[in-house]
Amino acid sequence: MPFIEKGIHHFAYVIKTGYIQWENASKDHFFQRIDARIKVLFLVFYVIIVSVKKDIPSEALIGAFVFILILISRLNLVGLYKRVLFFGFIFGFLIAFPSAFNVITRGEIIYPVLHLSRPYNFWIYRIPKEIGLTMEGVYGVMMLTSRVMNSLAISFFVLYTTPFPEIIKGLKMLKVPDSFLMIITLSYKYIFIFAGTLADMHLAKKSRLAGQVSNAEARRWIAGRIAFIFKKSRQHYEEIFKAMISRGFSGSIRIYRGKRLHARDWVTGITFFLVGVLILWM
Amino acid sequence: MEDIISLEGVSYSYYDKITAIQDISLGIKEGERFAIIGANGSGKSTILQIMNGLIYQSKGKYFFKGNEVSKQALRDNGFLRFFRERVGYVFQDSDVQLFCPTVLDELLYGPLQLKMEEDEAMDRTFEVMQILNIENLKDRPSYMLSGGEKKRVAIGSVLTMNPEVLLLDEPTNGLDPRTQCFLVELMFALSEAGKTLVIATHDLSLVDELHTKVALLSEKHRTEKIGPSEDILRDEDLLLQVNLIHEHMHYHGQAVHSHRHSHHVYHKH
Repeated sequence: MPFIEKGIHHFAYVIKTGYIQWENASKDHFFQRIDARIKVLFLVFYVIIVSVKKDIPSEALIGAFVFILILISRLNLVGLYKRVLFFGFIFGFLIAFPSAFNVITRGEIIYPVLHLSRPYNFWIYRIPKEIGLTMEGVYGVMMLTSRVMNSLAISFFVLYTTPFPEIIKGLKMLKVPDSFLMIITLSYKYIFIFAGTLADMHLAKKSRLAGQVSNAEARRWIAGRIAFIFKKSRQHYEEIFKAMISRGFSGSIRIYRGKRLHARDWVTGITFFLVGVLILWM
Repeated sequence: MEDIISLEGVSYSYYDKITAIQDISLGIKEGERFAIIGANGSGKSTILQIMNGLIYQSKGKYFFKGNEVSKQALRDNGFLRFFRERVGYVFQDSDVQLFCPTVLDELLYGPLQLKMEEDEAMDRTFEVMQILNIENLKDRPSYMLSGGEKKRVAIGSVLTMNPEVLLLDEPTNGLDPRTQCFLVELMFALSEAGKTLVIATHDLSLVDELHTKVALLSEKHRTEKIGPSEDILRDEDLLLQVNLIHEHMHYHGQAVHSHRHSHHVYHKH
């Protein structure tokens, strides 16, 4: 059952990374101490700037600024950028890559790939005689990839410097409804609890296994466990609902608004804002 | 003195098929320490949930401070608030009870739902954190706490509502001896402060330590006997009958001997 082992290890990894997120975010460096509300606003503002800017030098400038912030925060550079590159490659480069060809983006061919005997017309599409990468297409792909990578870098920066509960409070300031925040919190919490349950169930099974199990049987076991987890989570949510009612829940939720901002939060917030405006103006 | 909690012929069954409790009648006085004891599945938690208005009896009546508690009665917002402010419930599984982002939010949740001012709620929360010695945990999420810490926070989340009646479901279950000892002392302190404690447990040593009044449940989900803990714990035949003690065999040097084993004062040789 190597695929089950692999799946379980992945769940264990989820728990571990969650814990690492908490540990990193709780470290006493400068950006880790900045109020989450400032960081959530920074995230929203800069993701908008990244989407609004239409040239690569501006994207590079934003990328450099975020890189400096990550350096100052003493985060694990390699680990963070490995994730940024991985997701940036999949959701930025790979998705946009076909648009670099003249089949999709018309323009000057800078790298011919294929020569056909004649052009083909198919419904509303036209396949030209010479297929290749165009200048405009490559620029578009680079633009989209850099946007995705910058957005990811900004998001990871905020995630790695802010404990999850603080992010929730930051979202509260952005007027995200309390009941929605409660759902996010509960979901996040139960990923941990059920990942642990799943790992325990697997170990309990493993401890009673003496021989090999066929793949079909392993699949049946997984299907059964999925149903079990589903029932268990239903039971759990009923219990949680009772616990909420017991403590005065009657339809709407009130969460504590949080502490006041310090001088360093204001200074950082204003600096982020001014740099953002400067990038927008350039 | 009038009973603060009174159950009259209360029955409950799950899905109208599985009997959880049958014809339970009991009264609890204000400031009393009251234990509901019985084997697993005898219906202890069900009684506590009915007492907290989380589920409703299928037969019989439940009165809190002379007011009948029913689904209908709890639809009235005024009575709902009156009831929730006065009756707190500590669940057996702390994971169920801790659903807020951090420990601080957890403790603030109850008072804020009861429309208390934020400053007042905050003062009360810090007071409770000091009592429970959990100030250092205030910014932690609940999934980063140990079992003992979770239990303290779960109790704290109810104490910040400052209820008159505390319903505790298996409070010492799965806790290390030190945390158990802390809990017993806390329960004594709460009792001395005038709180009514209702504890559902099968831990006979806890009942013995707290000197409670006891309602003993049978495996047939009925009250077998109600009386002071000294009387009930002394009645070994009764405890054996409801499966709370068992025949125990062990060695003393080379000699093997057996006796009834209840893990408390009656373990005499």
